[in-house]
Amino acid sequence: MTQQSNESTRRGFLDVFIGICSAITAAAVTIPGLMYLWPAAKGGAGGEVEVKGAKNLAKGESEILQVKGKAVLVVRTSSGFDAYSAICPHLGCLVKWEGVRKEFLCPCHAAVFDSKGRVVSGPAPGPLSPYKVKEVGDKVFVSAV
Amino acid sequence: MNAPGWLQRFLNERYNMEVANTFIDKQMHKRLPPHTGWLHIFGSLSLLLFISQTITGILLLIYYRPTPDEAHASIQYITGEAHFGWLYRQVHAWGASLMILGLTLHMIRTYFMGSYKKPRELTWMTGVMIFVVTITFGFTGYLLPWNQIAFWATTVGTESAAKVPYIGGWLQYCLRGGDAVTGETLSRFFVVHVIILPWVLTGLIAVHLFLMRATNLATMERVGEEKKTPEECGIPFFPVHVAKEGVVAVLLIAVLVTLSVLSPWEIGEPANPLSTPPHIKPEWYFLPSYQLLKYFQGPYGAFMGIIACSVPFALLFFWPMLDRGKERHPRKRPLAVGFGLIGLISALALGYLGHVSGLEKSYFGARYHFSEKGWPTRIADDAPPSDSGGH
Repeated sequence: MTQQSNESTRRGFLDVFIGICSAITAAAVTIPGLMYLWPAAKGGAGGEVEVKGAKNLAKGESEILQVKGKAVLVVRTSSGFDAYSAICPHLGCLVKWEGVRKEFLCPCHAAVFDSKGRVVSGPAPGPLSPYKVKEVGDKVFVSAV
Repeated sequence: MNAPGWLQRFLNERYNMEVANTFIDKQMHKRLPPHTGWLHIFGSLSLLLFISQTITGILLLIYYRPTPDEAHASIQYITGEAHFGWLYRQVHAWGASLMILGLTLHMIRTYFMGSYKKPRELTWMTGVMIFVVTITFGFTGYLLPWNQIAFWATTVGTESAAKVPYIGGWLQYCLRGGDAVTGETLSRFFVVHVIILPWVLTGLIAVHLFLMRATNLATMERVGEEKKTPEECGIPFFPVHVAKEGVVAVLLIAVLVTLSVLSPWEIGEPANPLSTPPHIKPEWYFLPSYQLLKYFQGPYGAFMGIIACSVPFALLFFWPMLDRGKERHPRKRPLAVGFGLIGLISALALGYLGHVSGLEKSYFGARYHFSEKGWPTRIADDAPPSDSGGH
């Protein structure tokens, strides 16, 4: 009886031990695989990005460029330059600047934003994110806020 | 349907072929219920299309290159230079749509005939999984030509994933392989489309077919009162049903080639990450979800929209658990049939509204502009046509 009980204990211990070893082995194989799937951080040109055609823009015209891989719209205003994320917060399409109406318009689901990026109408859940604009001499630079 | 004599001798001398022969013989001469007819061929049709997609997909892989710089050019090469490349590309593109159509018709037939009921619940559930995997096939394959429509449809599609609470951002980042749709996204979609999904679908189809053969096709009798089909009145799987499937296969090839020639898929402009073209629309099978998403606005609108789009699939999957009545005949299941019809009509209506939204269309001599939500506004007869009117 005692011998059987000892064997049961030993067998139970071995079951648990093998279970733990199997779990550790499975984790050792799976975790690096999942980490491999996670993209290594990178983005395009970052920091301050020069707006190449800034000085050729007339008032009310815009230029699109990428800052850290994200599309940004730079608009020439009467007082200088404004920059906003071109990515519509609804579903990620790129908005266009309508110079005559002074509005940003999303071509996918008709979200409309005013010249300050605020939602006017449509399905967008929030405004366009602003970007920082810096003028140095005759050059214009845009960077994330 | 016997193997040549030399092959039989070769195998018999080496293996105990009796078990295999008995199994094959039983499967080939299985009797199907007497009501088995042409409505029962949509499953075989979908399987044939899967085989066609696999073959044409392998052929396309020989020349396709999954990088942003080369993907679009390689599709142009396949279409314009490779011998019969245009045909294989068109058959693959049309085959994807037809496979989803075939599966949809197969599910409609199964639903209205009550064939998902006990003991075939798992057959139905694996069928719904096959449907979802096939749609995922369509979504991942759509990006591969790397054209404008594909790029922006994928941007919108993966942006939707970000609206899932808590894990949305992580999910989107993982799907895209970064913040935006880039070459990393193309690589990921390529791997999923050509390696992971084919094996997943093969496995699901194998389980589905095994379950289907194990329980035979459903009769129209009440649950628990099904009688085994007698030899004299059942329809032999071979040659009667197989002959029907042969006819379907020949017709399918004819339809695929005809569509490829008369209505070819355009290659489109190469993807431009700095310009979203107007009126981006997904493939027809995503149009109901695409339109439904538009009716949910505000801070939690997109999330609620995703929930609304997911509920029909969850309902479909668990439907055998929800509808536990014993009747199979549609006339004796008014609630289930009504529910099914409402779902079907809603999907068709949403799909149509998604198709016309943002465009101008003419009906009975009058022109209408459809808003993004699909509401029509009549246009004055003397107003000039807009650029969207011709779509």
